[in-house]
Amino acid sequence: MRSSGGEKFVYGLCAVLFALTVLVLYAPILVNALLSVVPRKAGSLHWAEAGGGAYLELFGNVDLMQSLFASVIVAVSASVLSSVIAVVMALYLDSRFAFGRRAIETLIYLPFIMPSMITGLALLIYFTALKVPLSLATVTLGHTIFVLAIAYRLTSVRLTNLSPSLREASMDLGANGWQTFRHIIFPHLQPAILSGVLFAAAISIDETLITLFLSGDRMTLPIRLWSMLRVGFTQEINALVTLVIAGTLVVALFGLRVWKKDGKLEF
Amino acid sequence: MRLGARLFLFLIAAAGPVLLVLLPLSGFVLNSFYSMNGSEIVRGFSAGNYAEFANNKAYVGVLWHTIWLCGRVALICLLLAYPLAWYVWQQPEAKRFPLLLVIILPLFMSYIVKLFTMRSLLAVTGLMNELLLDAGFLAKPTTAFMFNENAILLTMVAMYLPFVFLPIYLALERIPESLVQASADLGGTQATTFRHVVWPLSVPGVISGAIFAFVLSLGDYVTPQMVGGPNGFTFGRVIFSQFGAAYNWPLGAALAVVLVIVSGAAILSAGLVSKKGEA
Repeated sequence: MRSSGGEKFVYGLCAVLFALTVLVLYAPILVNALLSVVPRKAGSLHWAEAGGGAYLELFGNVDLMQSLFASVIVAVSASVLSSVIAVVMALYLDSRFAFGRRAIETLIYLPFIMPSMITGLALLIYFTALKVPLSLATVTLGHTIFVLAIAYRLTSVRLTNLSPSLREASMDLGANGWQTFRHIIFPHLQPAILSGVLFAAAISIDETLITLFLSGDRMTLPIRLWSMLRVGFTQEINALVTLVIAGTLVVALFGLRVWKKDGKLEF
Repeated sequence: MRLGARLFLFLIAAAGPVLLVLLPLSGFVLNSFYSMNGSEIVRGFSAGNYAEFANNKAYVGVLWHTIWLCGRVALICLLLAYPLAWYVWQQPEAKRFPLLLVIILPLFMSYIVKLFTMRSLLAVTGLMNELLLDAGFLAKPTTAFMFNENAILLTMVAMYLPFVFLPIYLALERIPESLVQASADLGGTQATTFRHVVWPLSVPGVISGAIFAFVLSLGDYVTPQMVGGPNGFTFGRVIFSQFGAAYNWPLGAALAVVLVIVSGAAILSAGLVSKKGEA
């Protein structure tokens, strides 16, 4: 392809834009990592007092540790629950006995398409009407239906890519439905399920806009951070946040790698 | 399989979506027709909340203002995300996926922490002012970016940019290499190839990206509160306050129905524009 000076200029401009964007997008972890080791008092950084003390004190902070623990429990339950439901739904809607495929799929995708606050307030009204007290369980249900769309999408796309002849061959060789699922369908779905679980966990641990409606007096980590934001973060929070972001990024990165290995980028 | 068995399976499969999506959503729409008597919710059917919304200039004004704000967020995201996506797409194939990861990984960084970071960077006593003052770029701290609409705009753009980047990039990646080569073989410069081949084929990605940014910022009630201060009163915040301090769930539900209608209309019209482009 011929390229003129003008085209090279555009290309260079895009490269600069890319570098600046990366700087802004990664500012949260950079700023927090900096503030976690360098104390900031009265609006200026005290480089001389830099140190890792905040990381040690952090584990003695009961409130923070409790909300981190709550977030981890919710993330694990919501991601496991949503992927189990996703697999069942995908298998059912893929089968020839299914009714109302479009209607059910629409319901699965709705919480993801609508603004999250709608899911949050609709569930708040619903749970209140049913006299279900707000707790980590209600938060988990809210997260589950939010991330279900992703888990279902990944699983059902993967399922339609499975050649029907494989299933027929398995049945022809005398396998029953369960054996076919266990040895043919499940191994084929596995990467999609795994990346679904990882994405779901990474999203759940950080979910704020639905959780604010559903958490009651049990605080997940984002809710605790939200309530502390007005006052400002202490160095301990900077340290915790740095660790949590790093952990979440590792989980998400792992999920993206599994997803990519799975084949083309599709969603 | 017998009809009875099929119905049984359907009931099991539909239970989750019906119990946790359909019923809550219907309940919330129903609630929007209730009214308040003191601090009691009255379960009687009336369109009073919608009348209050339509007749109160403050609500309608905030809604239009919020739509205008979110439209600008979407536009700025597009202007930034398109060149970024194009740049990544121009890279040799082995480098594309790592660069894509670099842009979309921040989606998984904590939302509240992003807000905290923006506050610490943009505040009058913030890091940005400190650095610019130390470096001599500013004589006195700037207040241009704190507790006003610029701060909301900037923060939302930083927050939702990856959501706009991704669909544009995926649209670009779906363009067959042979089309681009054919255009070059026929003597097209990169600029003409871009105008007549690449851009038209990437429009669906551009539209979905814009819709992502618009709907996400429309429903974001925490960012305006945290970086916008008293000037950052958006429609989402009005809704949230009905479920908190203002305590009027039926009115909040009615305003939320309006929010659903606005985002639904945006999504549907984008779908129509996309379809028309394909035909």
